[in-house]
Amino acid sequence: MTTELQREIDDIYSVQLDHVTKDFGGGVLGLDDVNVGFRTGRVTVLLGLSGSGKSTLLRHINGLHSPTSGTVRVLGQDVNSVGKRGLRELRRNIGVIFQSFNLVGPMSVLENVCAGQLGSLKGPRISLMMYPKSVRREAIEKLDRVGLADRAYQRADTLSGGQQQRVAIARALMQHPTVLLADEPVASLDPVSALDVINLLRQIAEEDDLTVIASLHQVQLAIEFADRIIGLRNGQAVLDRTTQGLSAEEASTIYSSVSGMDISDAEAGAGSASTSTSDSDSVRTPMSSGVTR
Amino acid sequence: MSMLTEAPPEVREVPVRPRPAGSSLAAALVMISLVVGGVWSVGALGIDIATIVDSFDNAVNFFARMFPLDFPPVAETLSLVFETLAIVFLATLLSVALSVPVALAAARPTRWGVTSQWVARALTVLARAVPDLVLAIIFLRMFGLGATAGIIAMGIHSVGMIAKLYADAIEELDDGPRESVESLGGSRAQQIMAAIPQTLMPQLIATALHRFDINLRTSVLLGYVGVGGIGLAIADSLRTLDYQRGMALAVLVLLLCIGLELVSGAIRAALMRSAGQRITGGTWVDRLLNHGRESGVNDLHLTPPWSSARIRRFLSIALIVVFTVAALWRVDVSWSALAQGILDLPQTLALFFPPSAGGSMSNLFEQLLVTIQISLAATLIGAVLALPIGILAARNAVANAYVHQTFRVIIVIVRGIPELILAIIFVVISGLGEVAGTLALSIGAIGLLSKLIADSLEETDTQVQEAMRATGASEAQVFFSATLRQAAPAFVAHTMYLLDNNIRSATLLGVVGAGGIGFLLLNASRVNQFDVVTMVLILMVAVVLAVEALSMWLRKAVR
Repeated sequence: MTTELQREIDDIYSVQLDHVTKDFGGGVLGLDDVNVGFRTGRVTVLLGLSGSGKSTLLRHINGLHSPTSGTVRVLGQDVNSVGKRGLRELRRNIGVIFQSFNLVGPMSVLENVCAGQLGSLKGPRISLMMYPKSVRREAIEKLDRVGLADRAYQRADTLSGGQQQRVAIARALMQHPTVLLADEPVASLDPVSALDVINLLRQIAEEDDLTVIASLHQVQLAIEFADRIIGLRNGQAVLDRTTQGLSAEEASTIYSSVSGMDISDAEAGAGSASTSTSDSDSVRTPMSSGVTR
Repeated sequence: MSMLTEAPPEVREVPVRPRPAGSSLAAALVMISLVVGGVWSVGALGIDIATIVDSFDNAVNFFARMFPLDFPPVAETLSLVFETLAIVFLATLLSVALSVPVALAAARPTRWGVTSQWVARALTVLARAVPDLVLAIIFLRMFGLGATAGIIAMGIHSVGMIAKLYADAIEELDDGPRESVESLGGSRAQQIMAAIPQTLMPQLIATALHRFDINLRTSVLLGYVGVGGIGLAIADSLRTLDYQRGMALAVLVLLLCIGLELVSGAIRAALMRSAGQRITGGTWVDRLLNHGRESGVNDLHLTPPWSSARIRRFLSIALIVVFTVAALWRVDVSWSALAQGILDLPQTLALFFPPSAGGSMSNLFEQLLVTIQISLAATLIGAVLALPIGILAARNAVANAYVHQTFRVIIVIVRGIPELILAIIFVVISGLGEVAGTLALSIGAIGLLSKLIADSLEETDTQVQEAMRATGASEAQVFFSATLRQAAPAFVAHTMYLLDNNIRSATLLGVVGAGGIGFLLLNASRVNQFDVVTMVLILMVAVVLAVEALSMWLRKAVR
């Protein structure tokens, strides 16, 4: 592949996984030959049951995991050959939202948000006053954006789950990311807060033109949120389609394809779900070479 | 224990009882031999009713000579208390300062690498295995008589406990916040500093306070080898047989211990309460200090408001600084002696090597055996007496509230008395030697073990007891077959912990004349036979590590 062509592809796809396999040892495959590209500025949802490889895939994108074989390219760089310093620089451009928010509980909300800038600051910080005033000002603005500016000096662990996730989003925004990863961002939230957080993410993705990759397990939420859905099962991508013009019937097949259960042979039960492989699966959409849309 | 010792039954037709597993059989054998060892030790040390009755006269005599207690003049008393507290405070502060980097290196999420983790853990074990008394002997040689040696000795020895607890606490923390800083491109130092100190602070302080209590008790012992403070004054008075003064000072230590326990308990409780509070609470202080302040996009200060929590934090830090300055001023650390001591380190170490038996290896082994006997006997006596006391103090074993509360109070009082004071009293009553050490340790053992027994009985699963009660079992039946059986593994574990503890304490109490290898240690250091000190140290560390390994194995085998 010429570098010219590579550059063009990098422009179109912020994140590319090329035949990525992750072997956790003992024959446990976290990812099994995953081949997919994520277009710049689009929202993609990874659907799948627990253990299907959603988190593993996301952790490959910011280098928390490295693949056993295959390559991961993010923003035009190979995640696993940029070196330690290069990885830190790359990570600055990738915001991450976690299921359990991962805020420092006893710290104030504002300080938690300021911590989002650590990647661009030199040296450690142990109190709010150690961040430059400009950073604190920006943090207040980001908090205002997620609607929590009035909580700036409150302990983070005194907020509700939905509020904590919004603070985490504000923290990610401090990085000025171009890619936003969200690992089960609403799995710990009640349905109302979950919808709030999803709407906020969608709004921010549009306003800031972010490439969003989120894992979810609610099909309905995924359809509302995403431009594109990728289904994962046993570490393999078993489904890949846009959400435009998705009929209710088609939506219902999504669940069966990611869970490995065909609606037609539902009585086969969940027992077979874990053992059947995708090769024999009729619902599976064949993956082309990562350049799908 | 007995339920594990049953021999395999005679083979009958049906059903065949499964053979006990090899490890539990071995565990039973070890436990039986420990008990036999304890009984033999009690006999060998000559502890029997007759001895105790004999020393009764001595006790009466002693108490007669003890009164009236002769407290030093107020100014002198305060000065002594101040000096002791200053030494203990600086020692604890030093050990916290040393422990933080060691703990960061030893804990899995924050370690620099596998090697650094291994080195840090080895250092921790080593610091715990070398008693502060031995360290004090070494440092007294290096830095001269006075507080400096005691501060450094306790400071280093405490790292063994503090760094281990800190490392455990770091490993138990939720790794999420640290990982989130990692994934936004933060450096290693940024990850650690952003995610860990604030979350860890309550545990950090609670552990330091706990160690402060322990160091206060140890500081008295260090007085015997020449570190200043109340301990030195007690040692001087007893050397001149001035029991009225000596015991008055012992009472002072007791009061100090109780007072500190209350203060540190209050601080720990306050720390637990404040975890989970809002930064801006609704108290009148908050409203007064932050009048007209609004937080939001229009807030131009961008500084945290002076909430009551922030004021408290600020004052605590200020207080620690003030204490440090005051303590440094009181103990008058001689920096030049410190520097000189460090420069002379090679010469000093040369005095300690090579280790030597000081002429008679068999004498060393004899005394080591006495120390082991003392700890075995004390553990056995302590366990036998602690079992009923612990059961009577457990809420769910004794229905009568007055009974278990009374026994709880008794336990608290017994625990409050420093073992060293007990040892001094018993040395005076029953004369120099093993009996005094054993009795002092037994009482200490009762205090510790009965509390642990009561706690583990109360922690048993009440649903099992409910289920038994529902089948119509009597309270006694419920207690013996549900409660006691559930607490049995904990009892074994605690007793082993006690034995482990007693071996160290038995050595240390030898210093005040309670027999065993500790007495040799003191004598060797008095006549500058430092190579003998090293030999004693090696023997002791070997025994302590062996007992620790045995108790770790036993705790795994007995479930």
